[in-house]
Amino acid sequence: MFKLKGVAVLAGAAALAIALTGCGGNASSSKSSSTSGGGTLTLGLIVAPSSFSAQNANWANQSPYMQAVYDTLLKASPSGEIEPNLATKWSYNSDKTVLTLTLRSDVTFSDGTKFDADAAAQNLIRFRDGTSPNASTLVNLADAKAVDATHVQLTLKAPDPAMLTYLTQNAGLQESPKAFTNKNVETVPVGSGPYRLDTAKSVTGSSYVFDKTPHYWNPSDQHYSKIVMNVYSDGTALLNAIQGGQVNAANTFDNTTLDQIKAAGFTVNPLELNWEGLILGDRDGTLTPALKNVKVRQALEYAFDRKALLKALANGYGTLTEQIFPTSSPSFDKSLDSTYSYDPAKAKELLAEAGYPNGFTLKMPSAAAFGESNFALIKQQLADIGVKVTFEDLQGNDYITALIGGKYSAALMTLQQDPTDWQLASFQIDKTAAWNGFHTDDPTVQGYIKTIQTGSEAQATAAGKALNKYLVDQAWFVPFFRPQSSFVTDAKTKVTVQVGNAVPYLWNITPKN
Amino acid sequence: MLRFTIRRLISGVILLFVISTLAYLLLYLGAGNVGRRILGPQASDATVALKNQQLGLDQPIVERYLSWLGGAARGDFGSSWFTQQPVVEAITSRLAVTISLVIGATLVSAVIAIALGVWAARRRGWADRLVQVIAVLGFAIPGFLLAVALVNVFALKLHWFRPTGYVPLSTSFGGWATTVALPIIALSIGAVAAIAQQVRGSVIDGMRQDWVRTLRSRGLSENRVVLKHVLRNAGGPALAVLAVQFVGLLGGAVIVEQVFAIPGLGQVSVTATAQGDVPLVMGLVVAVGAIVVIVNLVIDLMQGFLNPKARVS
Repeated sequence: MFKLKGVAVLAGAAALAIALTGCGGNASSSKSSSTSGGGTLTLGLIVAPSSFSAQNANWANQSPYMQAVYDTLLKASPSGEIEPNLATKWSYNSDKTVLTLTLRSDVTFSDGTKFDADAAAQNLIRFRDGTSPNASTLVNLADAKAVDATHVQLTLKAPDPAMLTYLTQNAGLQESPKAFTNKNVETVPVGSGPYRLDTAKSVTGSSYVFDKTPHYWNPSDQHYSKIVMNVYSDGTALLNAIQGGQVNAANTFDNTTLDQIKAAGFTVNPLELNWEGLILGDRDGTLTPALKNVKVRQALEYAFDRKALLKALANGYGTLTEQIFPTSSPSFDKSLDSTYSYDPAKAKELLAEAGYPNGFTLKMPSAAAFGESNFALIKQQLADIGVKVTFEDLQGNDYITALIGGKYSAALMTLQQDPTDWQLASFQIDKTAAWNGFHTDDPTVQGYIKTIQTGSEAQATAAGKALNKYLVDQAWFVPFFRPQSSFVTDAKTKVTVQVGNAVPYLWNITPKN
Repeated sequence: MLRFTIRRLISGVILLFVISTLAYLLLYLGAGNVGRRILGPQASDATVALKNQQLGLDQPIVERYLSWLGGAARGDFGSSWFTQQPVVEAITSRLAVTISLVIGATLVSAVIAIALGVWAARRRGWADRLVQVIAVLGFAIPGFLLAVALVNVFALKLHWFRPTGYVPLSTSFGGWATTVALPIIALSIGAVAAIAQQVRGSVIDGMRQDWVRTLRSRGLSENRVVLKHVLRNAGGPALAVLAVQFVGLLGGAVIVEQVFAIPGLGQVSVTATAQGDVPLVMGLVVAVGAIVVIVNLVIDLMQGFLNPKARVS
């Protein structure tokens, strides 16, 4: 009796397990293949899309999801030049406050709706008013109106030198207006892109399957018949997937496993997207009076052994720098990277000249995300010149809020190096910039920024160069290095990295043969 | 029995209410600026404020809690802040994956542990010591370490299994088996150790009882005495341990699913907790709490089946 019942219980449990499994998740993981003009591309990504709605779309690490299902009004080449896409031509009026785009007339959304100027205008306004992390890129957009079916006019509150670049990113994503009111607009995209999301085979947060859009208007961007994007939130799992040949290409969390990845036959495609170092936000000496003196800020520049910091903070992967402008910017000046050498004696001398022969006390935030040992190293190097640092430990989220809110005079941070000078200035330098936490208002800086915004191309380039040099001389920041990001590809896959973006643009990931 | 079941279910609901209330308060009190956390450092303050408003975070916490509670009572737990997927859908689509792993691990560990426990109790001597050593090792080796080792040896070196991912049984039995085998082994080791020890002790105790001597004196074979009578008697305590292990396996799945990139509740729990995805974490708290309540109820009923003395009249 017991035996029979026991067996029945076990069998029942097994049946339940099998039944449950059968109706479970749909993520599948198979050995990937990539064939020219067809085949499957399997990407390993480190974040899931936060929204599939074009209005609230993220970019950077999430750009592949968006580029699969949506088209953008314009397109950026790997080096950042603006190219046609849904918009075939573009022109500004004389004072650069009205931008007119000529649109394609042969594009249809996946729900059958035709793409036209009215759809483009609606998408632009929705993005500006939405909650994408980049919604503020369209803050200068006063209005967008359809002139006719193939012409849309964008009226700007003020000239915006990065507007065309924004239209190559999430601000330019085009979604079917009929989908705006869909209940599932956040999870089911209705775009005109080269691929369509197969919701039945996708598991939100884990795996996304895209099938090639039939009769797509630009088949040269469709290199695969299917793309699978698997999300790996754990570094070990990602490494296992790479070593096991379960992905063709992948983004990486950090550079600690690059040797193992290379040993698995993958190619490392390096890219530098950010600068890492100290933001000396309190340039007016609001919280720490000593920082108002430029000699004190320059002393901090001399205090750091950047080579040692690169090794400790980024395992040696990256390039030492003393400027926040990226190498792709015309304002980048290599000679500025040797403005301040590691010279504690010089630092002490400058502190003494500034009236701080015994140093001063500096309160800084710390966060576990950066690694405790990194803060210890910074503390030690500043102690060597007499600056006593006291750290206040914050959660990652509070850390950012505190820096933006101007709560700390100086802080370690990794910030993006935007591809255009205007973007960089708007994000980190301008008096209204989010990462100018104390909203330092320096007339010289503001003058350069005004020229970048409204001047001719030549004037803007000259102003950008001058601004870069001024910021280095005035020691607004203490950049240590540009950390390396690594996108890895297997022997069957070729990639061209994208300037200013964490992941290559989807159409630049192709079969090798 | 019916009254007992209803009483246990009511106490389960009360327990879930208390747990979810505490979890809600703890999560929101430590939430910080949610909009900033969701949108990241690039977003402007105005966008962050708009996001917080959309999420209803500008409302008093009591009002938010009552709204959540009302929704939860109707089965509406809201949507994930980070993927926008409805919480119920996020959990149900992963529940089956995790439950299949846990049930698989429970079955495997129960079978192996009973075999080892009975073997050790009957043979004693070196066999007993060997099982003790295995048990200690099973306790000592962390599940995640074993998972990493299994992947390295059996997936990356020998290529017998897939290192990551999950194939539903409905897609392919072979694919399913190769994706769940290593996770189930990794999950089972600790449970085998605990249950084998319990079975061994209970069988040894049982074999010393007078009624066992009586059975032997009646001429019953040793196998029949042990497997039919002693083991049934030892089943109660073993089931209690199994229940604890089942709940423990749910916790173990958190790490194992991460290592194997299996889209189950464990993986989503880690991601949601790290992100501070409060609606999803709250849904998970309620779902896992409900599973624990149900498992304990089922084990109590099984105890009654195995041991008449434990039955509730």
